[in-house]
Amino acid sequence: MAPAVVQNIASRFHRMSQSAADKDYSAREEEKQKLADWEANKKPLEPEEIHVDPQKKPVGHSSKVLRKEDFELIKTLGTGTFARVWLTKLANRKNGENNNKVFALKILRKVDVIRLKQVEHVRNERNVLAAVAGHPFITTMVASFQDTETLYMLLDYCPGGEVFSYLRRARRFNEPTSQFYAAEIVLILEFLHEQEGVAYRDLKPENILIDAEGHLKLVDFGFAKKIDNRETYTLCGTPEYLAPEVIRNTGHGTAVDWWAFGILIYEFLVGQPPFWDQNPMKIYEQIVEGKVRYPSAMSKDARDIIGGLCTVDVTKRLGNIKGGAGTVKKHPWFKNINWDELYHRKMQGPIVPHLKAPDDTRNFDEYDAEPQQKEPYTKEMQEKYDRMFADF
Amino acid sequence: MSLPSDYTNEIAALNREILKRPSGDILQTCFNFFARRLESQRAEFLLSQRHSSQPGMAESNFPGNNPFGATSTAPNQQPAMHSVAEEEEHDFQSPTASSFPPNVRGDASPGTVHASPNSNSTPGGTFGNFGFGPASSNRTNPPASVTAGAMAQQDSFPNNYNMNRRTSVSAESLAPASADDANWKAPSFPKTQDQINRLREAVSHNFLFSHLDDEQSAQVLGALQERKVPAKDVRVIVQGDAGDYFYVVESGNFDIYLSKTGKVESGPEGLGEKVASSGPGTSFGELALMYNAPRAATVVSTEPSILWQLDRITFRRILMDSAFQRRRMYESFLEEVPLLSSLTPYERSKIADALETVKYPAGSLIIREGDPGDKFYILESGEAEAVKRGREDKPLKTYKPGDYFGELALLDDKPRAASVRGKTEVKVATLGKDGFQRLLGPVESIMRRDDPRKLERSPDPLR
Repeated sequence: MAPAVVQNIASRFHRMSQSAADKDYSAREEEKQKLADWEANKKPLEPEEIHVDPQKKPVGHSSKVLRKEDFELIKTLGTGTFARVWLTKLANRKNGENNNKVFALKILRKVDVIRLKQVEHVRNERNVLAAVAGHPFITTMVASFQDTETLYMLLDYCPGGEVFSYLRRARRFNEPTSQFYAAEIVLILEFLHEQEGVAYRDLKPENILIDAEGHLKLVDFGFAKKIDNRETYTLCGTPEYLAPEVIRNTGHGTAVDWWAFGILIYEFLVGQPPFWDQNPMKIYEQIVEGKVRYPSAMSKDARDIIGGLCTVDVTKRLGNIKGGAGTVKKHPWFKNINWDELYHRKMQGPIVPHLKAPDDTRNFDEYDAEPQQKEPYTKEMQEKYDRMFADF
Repeated sequence: MSLPSDYTNEIAALNREILKRPSGDILQTCFNFFARRLESQRAEFLLSQRHSSQPGMAESNFPGNNPFGATSTAPNQQPAMHSVAEEEEHDFQSPTASSFPPNVRGDASPGTVHASPNSNSTPGGTFGNFGFGPASSNRTNPPASVTAGAMAQQDSFPNNYNMNRRTSVSAESLAPASADDANWKAPSFPKTQDQINRLREAVSHNFLFSHLDDEQSAQVLGALQERKVPAKDVRVIVQGDAGDYFYVVESGNFDIYLSKTGKVESGPEGLGEKVASSGPGTSFGELALMYNAPRAATVVSTEPSILWQLDRITFRRILMDSAFQRRRMYESFLEEVPLLSSLTPYERSKIADALETVKYPAGSLIIREGDPGDKFYILESGEAEAVKRGREDKPLKTYKPGDYFGELALLDDKPRAASVRGKTEVKVATLGKDGFQRLLGPVESIMRRDDPRKLERSPDPLR
């Protein structure tokens, strides 16, 4: 006991001397306390609270004080070609306080981002996540930071895992379950398109997580792009979910998400997407033709909403026509949804994950350890590219 | 002495519930909460049980209570809402294809290699490792429990739907506005008319080419570059390699090999099994025109041959540039229409989306006097004139590219006050009233938000 007290007094003494290091230390501790406070409630923001400068929001800012050492890496939750997502705890807290505060930390090595030509996508991802942080159904980027070699995005941890896993296990969802999840997605798309001018471009069950309370969180904004009223041309997405205009390269916008949304509802209800072949070119041929076949038992309303969304002509596609997302919300398939209650998370989700503790990872796969060999981020690269990461 | 974490976790969830839905009846609320938790946990448990004991049977009931009975109001509704989940397996074969080839490659028309790395023979079974998606790519295997379920159900998916996680794909970033693009012109390699006709025929069955307009088609055919394959045994495409070019066979012959491992192995049998061959007029490697996926097969010449090749970036640039230019042209035309001056740029781009290009031979009637007006026209190329019946020799007005006519049809369907005739061959962009209203609602309301008096002004000589 006694040595700790001594240390405590000593550190206080140091703080009084106001050395730069101590200032830094207290700023970090202060910031970590804020993170812990946020984690305790994870309170979503109202739409008007989200749409402010991320540096002034409780979440989504670029932190100049956080460091890798502030987080204890527990387990890999997912890996990609140049990113790894870890379950983390706040580290170094005095007397174990806030030990139960967990986050997901997405770690990207600058050298890999550059080698794979993903600088622009990563910048888009951070900026979109910062702009939308606080939405109840989008993964919250609590903060982002960087060091010399690495970029970090601190995200909320969704212990339920991917909707994908539940869907494959259940084979398909019944109609109420599908409606509930689809409705939360509508709120996400409405917000992204109409408030932020952002196209998400990679909607699929793999990118939708379930949080501790059974609500959805959209993750992986690697292809999200703020496009406002210009079309964009880069082909990206997931083969079965690509919209016809992406395949034909005639320019695409937020309407691609409505197309993918129709595919998603179909996959929820049927267990597989409507356009499929072993050969991807045959999938694309079916997509541009756009003839969806429905199982005989599918309800009329479900067919109607899928047909409206999966319309090849964007000027006739539900979600893109007059009224935007509002027209989708009024569709009879959603007649049981109270949209305001839904936004405020007052409706009970169909699957609430069973967790032993906040850091339970049973709903995530096991991943191989990180490769030891790492390409260095050279001085030359740093000089050439580091300004690209300035706002991280 | 601390409380079990399970317990504190449940209590924390209960606390959130109480905060969210304050209730006068605390006891009842707590009871309901735990009743729901129990129900949902049991359902999940039963589901996993069923999976391990009766594979293939587990689908009809999804765990959890009715999501719409937020306060457990309508449990008796639930059975009726399961209709989709309960349909019989054999009722629904494949959602699209009328048949599915028993052999993965069996559907390849002779000589056409469908660059699909996504076959049963490829471990991992997704679209190769090009795709990116930081949090999800390269995670091809679902959790163990899911894998077990999915495997057991394979036979109930007659078209072998790949149950694994799907990898995202992306092509090179294409942006028409960037500086180095400004002066880009598609390369053009000289060809005889005969060659062009043969090429046109060779690609006519490929959906990537069948949607092209005349200009795009001419550019694409022009950009195909000759490649001589001087001998036999040249590997034009190697399975597993990056996909860059699409090929049309001009002369000669090629054999196509498929290796079960997804890539060429060393040794005499390394190419795998010969699955097809490809002669003049056939094509292969078209997936490379979309994005860079690993090649699905190996293509080897069997004699000296000649190919035409086209790379992805050139192909996509041609498509993008013409789409980009057309959109900007339409938007600038639309800006000139006073009736539509209050449209936001966003709305204008939506309307530009809806414009349809129509061509008329010289001398044809575009609008007939007295017909109900239902469409609005912008002249894209050629010349046209407005004439009144009986005074055909004295045109009211002539139209040049960029001029528009018939826009009052967006307001109502009064009969056309004059005819419009093409003086030359003309190309018009046209939009119907229904299309406009579908996208933006009635034109009147759009105009009113700017200046209500505009309704009275008529810039249209047809009225």
